[in-house]
Amino acid sequence: MPVQDHVPAIITTSLSKTYKTKQGFWKRTTKNIEAVRDVSFRVEKGELFGLLGPNGAGKTTTVKMLSTLLIPSSGSISIFGLDIMKDTREIRKRIGFTFGGARGLYGRLTGIENLRYFAELYALPPEVTRKQIPELLELVGLTGRGDDKVETYSSGMQQRLHLARALLHDPELIYLDEPTVGIDPVGARELRATIKELKSRGKTILLTTHYMAEADELCDRIAIINRGSLVALDTPYALKQLISHESVIELRFSAAHSDEVNQVIDSTSISLKKTTIESNGQKSMEIRTVESGEIIELLSPLLTSRVIQSLEVHNQTLEDVYVAIIQSGEK
Amino acid sequence: MGSFIRLAIRQMDVQFRMRVLSLWSLGLYYIQPAIFSAVGMLLSRAAGNSSPDLVYTVVGAGMMGMWSGLVFTSTYDIRTDRREGTLEIIVGSPTSLRRVEGLRTLLNILAGLSSLVVAVLAAVLIFDYSFANVNIAGTILALLLILLGLWCMGVFLANFLAWSRVSGTVVDLMEMPMAILCGFMFPISVLPGWLQKVSGIFPIRWALEGMRDAMNGTPLAQPLIIKLLISLGLSIAFLLLARWFDGKVHDHIRVTGELHSI
Repeated sequence: MPVQDHVPAIITTSLSKTYKTKQGFWKRTTKNIEAVRDVSFRVEKGELFGLLGPNGAGKTTTVKMLSTLLIPSSGSISIFGLDIMKDTREIRKRIGFTFGGARGLYGRLTGIENLRYFAELYALPPEVTRKQIPELLELVGLTGRGDDKVETYSSGMQQRLHLARALLHDPELIYLDEPTVGIDPVGARELRATIKELKSRGKTILLTTHYMAEADELCDRIAIINRGSLVALDTPYALKQLISHESVIELRFSAAHSDEVNQVIDSTSISLKKTTIESNGQKSMEIRTVESGEIIELLSPLLTSRVIQSLEVHNQTLEDVYVAIIQSGEK
Repeated sequence: MGSFIRLAIRQMDVQFRMRVLSLWSLGLYYIQPAIFSAVGMLLSRAAGNSSPDLVYTVVGAGMMGMWSGLVFTSTYDIRTDRREGTLEIIVGSPTSLRRVEGLRTLLNILAGLSSLVVAVLAAVLIFDYSFANVNIAGTILALLLILLGLWCMGVFLANFLAWSRVSGTVVDLMEMPMAILCGFMFPISVLPGWLQKVSGIFPIRWALEGMRDAMNGTPLAQPLIIKLLISLGLSIAFLLLARWFDGKVHDHIRVTGELHSI
């Protein structure tokens, strides 16, 4: 089926998924659980799109619908212009997916045997498989371990083998559902480097993660999902601006200079909020303001004269934004 | 076609190493049928019966190995895939689960065939059973139809396992009743009339009857051929049913989210 080049990689329109669960033994009752509710977004080709949300928010359900493993209760999904319900097989050829954790591999087979088996499910020609497997093992840092049984791999190695499996058929669109969960910091950093490498190769990636720093570092745009609904969608920078333009200035100075510092700060008409803590003759002050530049300029003579020993400026992190959005949803 | 053959070889290779080469399979394919076979033959000898009863015990023990192997390996495969998360990977690939299950079931049956070989060897070497009167062509034809019948029933039953975690129990519970219904160890004629009618829907019952007839020297003529044709027809019916059911299963598991067990 010909696919137009200008179409987005993913379009979801009013996507919903309701599970029915039966409870009770003698008196069976059916309970509906709305896992995803009216979610609409689009992901452009070559974009690295993040899907964030707390546990049970509906991220994995959304990814499973996008990867044809679940049928939406309502709404529609288009992948490269193909309909998820009608063109299921064609879509499966063009997507790759990994779900977090160590599941999804045959532990009694070696890494290479796993990859060979899954390659056959994608009907890859033998010459492609022969070329792809060593390259992918190198890409995910498993060169030299391919002949070991997967049950001897660490969880980080299994995660990396998952990624290699998802890339076997060179998919254009890759879903990575919590790819760094359970991986040590070094392994996680290597995996993030691999994800960046994939993006640089033009792959479209949809990433779900709990790690805000990871999303901030990797994603072009981020959607935050809570209780099945999409509550925010923008670039990491714009999301950080969304909550507040406020910055936090942290000062450290001797208690002996307390009056001097307070005098300078109180002399300004700039709107700010200050909190001071004293410990062992040292004072630390936190100033929250949207006009951090002006405040720093005001304090610079005190810095030069070493009245202020240190000054640090913190901007809102994605985690601050995430927590604020999720908490406002809880209220 | 080339990709299908490669998948078949790879699937069988994986299946062989994951399932067949294990102590559990050794017990399932050889030890359990050997016990059935030995007990049956000893009982038969103690009762002073001659060779026709030995045919029941020899073929019956082999059938038990094939059937139990099919039921347990095929059910175990999907359960393991569901637990290990590989069922999602298979279903999410362009290859249909039906194709994967069909190939797995085929290897499970071929591995189970070795049970029959062991049972026959035990009969010849330990119990001095003679195959002097066997209608070889009829026996081979009936054996092929048994394999076909088992395969068609296997791919049909595998759908129950894929349907939900609970429905697989139904397949487990069928192991022993099927041995009775299809006359693995006893003639169908000892069953009540209504049960004999129920057993008539299973292709392996007819092929097995045909095989015993052929092993007892019945020529490849009308009564035997009719039994074999009934078996063939029922196998095709099970296959069509499996194909129809497969489509329903594929949609059902994607609606309920029953692809994984956690």
